[in-house]
Amino acid sequence: MSLLSKLKEAAVCLKAGRVTLPYPAQAQPVPPKFRGRPIFDAAKCIGCAGCANNCPAREILVFDVCQEVRILKYLGRRCTYCGRCADVCPEDAITMSHEFENATNSIGDIQQKLDLFMSTCQRCGRCFKEPSPLEQLKLKGYRFDDLANEQWIFRSQAYLTEEAAVDDVKIELD
Amino acid sequence: MIAREKLNELRAKFGPAIQRADLPSDGRLFVFIEPSVVKDVCAHIFRDLDARYVISIGADDRPSSGKFMVAHNFAFDREHLLASVLTYLPAENPKLDSISDVVPAANWAEREIRDLVGIEPVGHRYLKRLVLPDGWPDGLHPLRKDFAWNQVPEGFDEDREFKFDEPPEGCTVVPFGPFHPTLDEPAHFRLYVEGEMVRGCEYRGFMVHRGIEKLAELVLTYNEIPLMAERICGICGCVHNVTYAQAVENAIALRPPPRAEYIRTIMLEIERLHSHLLWVGLACHIVGFDTLFMQSFRIREPVMWIAEKITGNRKTYALCVIGGVRWDIAPEMKAELRAVLDKLEAEWTPVVAAVLKDKNIQKRTRDVGVADRRLVKEMGLIGPVARAAGADMDCRRDHPYAAYDRVEFDVITADGADVWSRVVVRAKEVFESIKIIRQCLEKMEPGPLQAEIRDELPVGRLGMSSVEAPRGESHHFVITGENNRPRRWRVRAPTYQNLQGVPAMIKDQQLADMTISLGSIDPCFSCTDRLETIDLRTKAVKVWSQEELRILTRRAKT
Ligand code: SF4
Ligand code: SF4
Repeated sequence: MSLLSKLKEAAVCLKAGRVTLPYPAQAQPVPPKFRGRPIFDAAKCIGCAGCANNCPAREILVFDVCQEVRILKYLGRRCTYCGRCADVCPEDAITMSHEFENATNSIGDIQQKLDLFMSTCQRCGRCFKEPSPLEQLKLKGYRFDDLANEQWIFRSQAYLTEEAAVDDVKIELD
Repeated sequence: MIAREKLNELRAKFGPAIQRADLPSDGRLFVFIEPSVVKDVCAHIFRDLDARYVISIGADDRPSSGKFMVAHNFAFDREHLLASVLTYLPAENPKLDSISDVVPAANWAEREIRDLVGIEPVGHRYLKRLVLPDGWPDGLHPLRKDFAWNQVPEGFDEDREFKFDEPPEGCTVVPFGPFHPTLDEPAHFRLYVEGEMVRGCEYRGFMVHRGIEKLAELVLTYNEIPLMAERICGICGCVHNVTYAQAVENAIALRPPPRAEYIRTIMLEIERLHSHLLWVGLACHIVGFDTLFMQSFRIREPVMWIAEKITGNRKTYALCVIGGVRWDIAPEMKAELRAVLDKLEAEWTPVVAAVLKDKNIQKRTRDVGVADRRLVKEMGLIGPVARAAGADMDCRRDHPYAAYDRVEFDVITADGADVWSRVVVRAKEVFESIKIIRQCLEKMEPGPLQAEIRDELPVGRLGMSSVEAPRGESHHFVITGENNRPRRWRVRAPTYQNLQGVPAMIKDQQLADMTISLGSIDPCFSCTDRLETIDLRTKAVKVWSQEELRILTRRAKT
């Protein structure tokens, strides 16, 4: 008889009571391991570019302005909060924060730009300690990602030349 | 060794046409054969040896061997063997005898190979475009290696119209989708309706194909792919993440540490729990029974929370890298997980008891969307759809991976072959998952989470892995390659096969049953198309022209 099962189903509902949480008026705390938006610490970052090379979403750009200054830019657009950048960073300069309410009208709110002092660094990439050969730095040397258009450029240069390769959008595989 | 046995059987029948064979491990067989016998060999494997068709893969192997390659994968479920039949084709004008008249399930796969790699299936009866958009220029194949990953094809013809098939005589056409309240993602069914009865349909999908395989072959690296693979699907993402990692591990003969295997098993089952609960809810919603829809979602929520506690996110677990997992399950987490399972079991039991006797749901779902054993075999249907038709198959038992060989569970089957049986199978599988997780928690020992990888991965190895996703077998095929990334990675999501069974399932039944029939395979178009979905909301009542729409989308982008 179906009436009995209807009664049982009603019992299930009544027992449960009200469970809706008062979000967004009141936010639940997130668990300690929660992976929110990554936050970069310019004081700790050494500019090894390991995070940029291992970001699956290609969300971290590297641009060498001159010998002494390297720019690291976190785009915050397609970032999937996977936490790989924080995994591979040898200096623990990246924290997966607990921030998840990241919707914004101006993307600048969540982007981060680090101006890193590199001194005489030759960008050889040896300061990046890869967990395994699968994370090795393929793009060593000077990098000129397209900051204006927020795009990766899949190449690097052994020497810092006068005319940087910013306009070169030709794709070279490694 | 079963692989050796099968190989000998094939050798006895086809002799010299078999060029070479790889038996990298028990449970895997790769046979390289001459193109001329591919159809016969596949027919023999599919019919005489009664294997299940899995998928066909086309690959552009010209940079390494100067040739194209096609692989037809089959599974011997009872014998625990995955077999791949491979053949090389000349670089010029590659074509291969179509196998889809002996193996009907290969229909889509062959059309996809034609679209993306440009290998012509000779003798295929229905060579309509499947994956590429209508305006895509002919003769350009995006999965060929000389096609750059970000290339925009010249001569894209936005105005070229899709040509629909002629409906059968006396039928009216009723369009269903691409946007429809019971479709969570875009797909278009053009139903041929006679009165209230559906007589057939044409399917048009792949509207959100985003070329993730191409990215993997040219841009991403080995350990970046798992985190992208996970985003193929919003419900069974972890499945793709694990399947990919396992396929690569299979290719390079790497075994993750036991603790990692247990954690993978646990997370896969947690995923099945949330997916099945979600599905039962949605199925009830589709038939208009929202009470249970609400209750399923309520019961499901703690599962999401525990996943968030373990992995840092309620859905995208970001679990695997090659050789292991990233997150551990700490002892206090074990206790919490056990408590969640106990509560889930206590709450799900009365729901199942009530639902299984609910005549209203039964009336709505019995003898609806029937997929019988014959259809299961011909179309390669899998998962709960197959099990509900009495086909006793489950990759967890048949092709054990992770820690499934160390736990005990029952494979739930039913014999109604209809939507109702699928409800029953899924409702009961929840208890099996709970059982599996409990055993894993019991058995897992402390130890490392990731295997050590000291060298770059070897090149040109083949690997495949099948994982029982909540909706059926998810299968990945990998050829390892240069530059720290695979040469070819093919994802076959369960819906890819199950969708091909839908036209037969909805034939000769009421139009109103279409939604639940489709819903009953738990379609996941994202997986099938390998993409992400976009949600456009507008309140304006206006018919947009294509041009207007384009302007609108362009504006939205900037
Ligand atoms: S969290 Fe993942 S996607 Fe986001 S920046 Fe880091 S590596 Fe890239
Ligand atoms: S990996 Fe760490 S140290 Fe290296 S560039 Fe990125 S944030 Fe800086």
